[in-house]
Amino acid sequence: MRRVFSLVAVAGLVLSACSTKSSTTGAGSTPSTNGTLNLAYLADMSVPDPDVFYDIEGNTVILSAYQGLVDYKPDSTTIEPVLATSWDISPDALTYTFHLRSGVTFQDGTPFNAAAVKASFQRRISVNSAPAYMLAQVADMQTPDPMTFVVKLKSVVTPFMDYMASSWGPKIISPKALTDNAGNDFAQTWAKTNADGTGPYKLTAFNRGQNYTLTRNDSYWGPKPNFATVNIRIIPDMNSQILQLRSGGLDVILHSFPVAELPTARSDPNLTIRDFSSYLQSMLYINANKAPFNNLALRKAVAADIDRDTLVSQIYGSYGHPAGSPYAPGILDQSLAPISYPTATVKAPAGTPAITFAYTSDESGIQSRLAGLIQQKLQGQGFQVTLKEVTNPQVYGYATSPQTLAQAPDLLLMTNTPDAAHPDTWSRILWGTGGGLNFLGYSNPQVDTLLNQGASTTDSAASAQAYAKAAQLLVADYGILFLADTRDVMVMRKNLTNVEHVPNYPWALRLGTLARS
Amino acid sequence: MARLVLSRLAALAVILLALSAIVFALEAMIPSDPVRAMVGASATKEAVAAKRHELGFDKPLPVQYVRFLGRAATGNLSDSLRTRRPVVTDLGNFLPATLELAGAAAIIAAVLGGLLGIATARGKGTAPRLLMLAGASAPPFLLALALLMLFYSKWHILPSSGRLSSSITPPAGPTGLLVIDGLVHGRFDVVSDALWHLALPAFCLALGPAVALGRTLRSSLQTVLTQDHIRTARAKGLKERTVLLRHALRSALNAPLTMGGLQVGLLLAGVVVIESVFAWPGVGLYTVQSISSTDFPAVAGVTLVLGALYVVINSLVDLAQIVADPRLRAA
Repeated sequence: MRRVFSLVAVAGLVLSACSTKSSTTGAGSTPSTNGTLNLAYLADMSVPDPDVFYDIEGNTVILSAYQGLVDYKPDSTTIEPVLATSWDISPDALTYTFHLRSGVTFQDGTPFNAAAVKASFQRRISVNSAPAYMLAQVADMQTPDPMTFVVKLKSVVTPFMDYMASSWGPKIISPKALTDNAGNDFAQTWAKTNADGTGPYKLTAFNRGQNYTLTRNDSYWGPKPNFATVNIRIIPDMNSQILQLRSGGLDVILHSFPVAELPTARSDPNLTIRDFSSYLQSMLYINANKAPFNNLALRKAVAADIDRDTLVSQIYGSYGHPAGSPYAPGILDQSLAPISYPTATVKAPAGTPAITFAYTSDESGIQSRLAGLIQQKLQGQGFQVTLKEVTNPQVYGYATSPQTLAQAPDLLLMTNTPDAAHPDTWSRILWGTGGGLNFLGYSNPQVDTLLNQGASTTDSAASAQAYAKAAQLLVADYGILFLADTRDVMVMRKNLTNVEHVPNYPWALRLGTLARS
Repeated sequence: MARLVLSRLAALAVILLALSAIVFALEAMIPSDPVRAMVGASATKEAVAAKRHELGFDKPLPVQYVRFLGRAATGNLSDSLRTRRPVVTDLGNFLPATLELAGAAAIIAAVLGGLLGIATARGKGTAPRLLMLAGASAPPFLLALALLMLFYSKWHILPSSGRLSSSITPPAGPTGLLVIDGLVHGRFDVVSDALWHLALPAFCLALGPAVALGRTLRSSLQTVLTQDHIRTARAKGLKERTVLLRHALRSALNAPLTMGGLQVGLLLAGVVVIESVFAWPGVGLYTVQSISSTDFPAVAGVTLVLGALYVVINSLVDLAQIVADPRLRAA
């Protein structure tokens, strides 16, 4: 699970430049051609190493160069075969047997097989970076024949298949590349700027701060990608991205398109706004570890006073609706843990201390608008609210100790998305005690027990009930207020076709199928 | 001269110590957990603690500072938390782009400022002066966007971003400055394409300093033009142009040179905005990305390098003043 918003005439020079180039329609470089897809990132991705990468900006690169054993179908939570054509799960859910696809080669020409899968899984465990937790329960790995891979687990991991399908799940890297570039860090130095997988595109240039180039993998085992080249440039200024999109220098703005610019984009005959189902949820954390919100009645008052449904309608319009449950649609049946917040507003009692309200901002302006409106609503009911913008690492620092929690803000507005389409990957770190995204230290021992029950049972109905009950307790505690289930909004050139999007992979399109008419 | 160099080196050491201390004090004042952010929300407490220990973040801040200074003295500025590479490697990648941009901007600022100063000192050039003043008074990002809309979106004569067209492969070294490297390797396609990309960002960056330089030169020239040696020169029957360029300009350069040194700071601050708008892969862009992820090793590295650059350039300005004004040599 991760956070999204913490988530931009004169002189000889001009004259000489004008004389050398008579005209350009390009993106500061080359114009869009049928062969090149031009994309932009607002910031560099961390590294194109699938065993280290744990961000959202960069999904497109990882998912184009590498593949896992399975994947999610577009616009769905259904798991589909990729490098594994089928799989068997033992009745005790401790042994997973994957039957692998034959005829697949890595981008360096070497064959894909079970030994490659085992080497990649082992590397993830050895590198032991952020996404390694998905394989933490692996007890043993076997390759009984070249096209069969068997994983044995120490204990039941209910989301295991979802981990395999996750954008941040294990990807299969060429064993040759790993061996040739092993160094003393499991080829991490090599993987900071290189990739060698089985995906539809090869990473042929990784120029930090400038651009990443993906080139069509002509030996790809699946349908041939339509674009010969995908050029992803780092353009940190959103206004600059918009100018280039309108001029045809960019094909898509993948995320954070400013809401104020949407009407202009809508009226541009060359552009279209596409919105996709996602697990992105905006939420308001409440710090119950100190006054005033150690008082349940006041937390409940906030839930009533912010007038959630109006707020969500004003901010998101058709790109979001009031959250139906602490679980986004698709993660768990929302009717199992529905949200019901009071609507009768409550005045802040006299003597209520002033509260601090932090939010992480984003280029779209949604977070700051939402925070501003919530502040107004609460002030209207007599709360004294100080608003401040904070960064990701600051937010991660709030729950490191009881002292930091006591100094942390009273309210925190975030938008988050889970690692995989499974309730465990959402609930455990969001509202389990000590969870990595449990930023304002919500804790309820009953909730923790239920989450453990959900994770350890092989009965899927009982598991779902346990996760649902845990969410119901959170809702009743008013520990985190869930504001909106939101759409993943992209603005793109109208001539793009075959646009496929997976809800679990925010800010990313399937480049292997994308085409231009 | 030796005394000047020594005093500047001493100042450099003191300034860099102070700058790095400020960065570390800021780190202490902003409660954050960059290590947790780095390893991710799903990492176990043990994994976070191990990473914190590996990076030295579990030590008291003064200890971290002393270790940082020790490493910095040997040219090691630690690893960036975001890019996971040595900060020195990152700076090696990003600094040449900034130096090229700032260098081009400095040349444009000097030429424009000189023209403006000379023209207006004689009571001419009111229209261009007002135009430049208007441009310089606009916020840099607004000016940049306005020029992009005209030159890129509307007229399609200049590119919007980056240092080079993606169809052109830059030569490898030796300086990382594409115009210079292009000339060294005889790659005139690189030179012209790099200049084409430099034009807008360098102009946006240069406009503010150009107006400041021009105004300083203008008032300095106006003072010099009233002095006795100018009257003598005119009495000899010299042309006004000769009087101005040969006799007045040199003695009027002291103030603009001082102003130029000060403008370097403004120029370096300006690259943060300009590089973001033009997606210019320089230190400014690196800094913006590092600050937003509370990447203290990277921020400290950038601060030290830009601080050193500022001191060195101002020392060069001092030397230039001595060359321009013989009276300073005696002093």
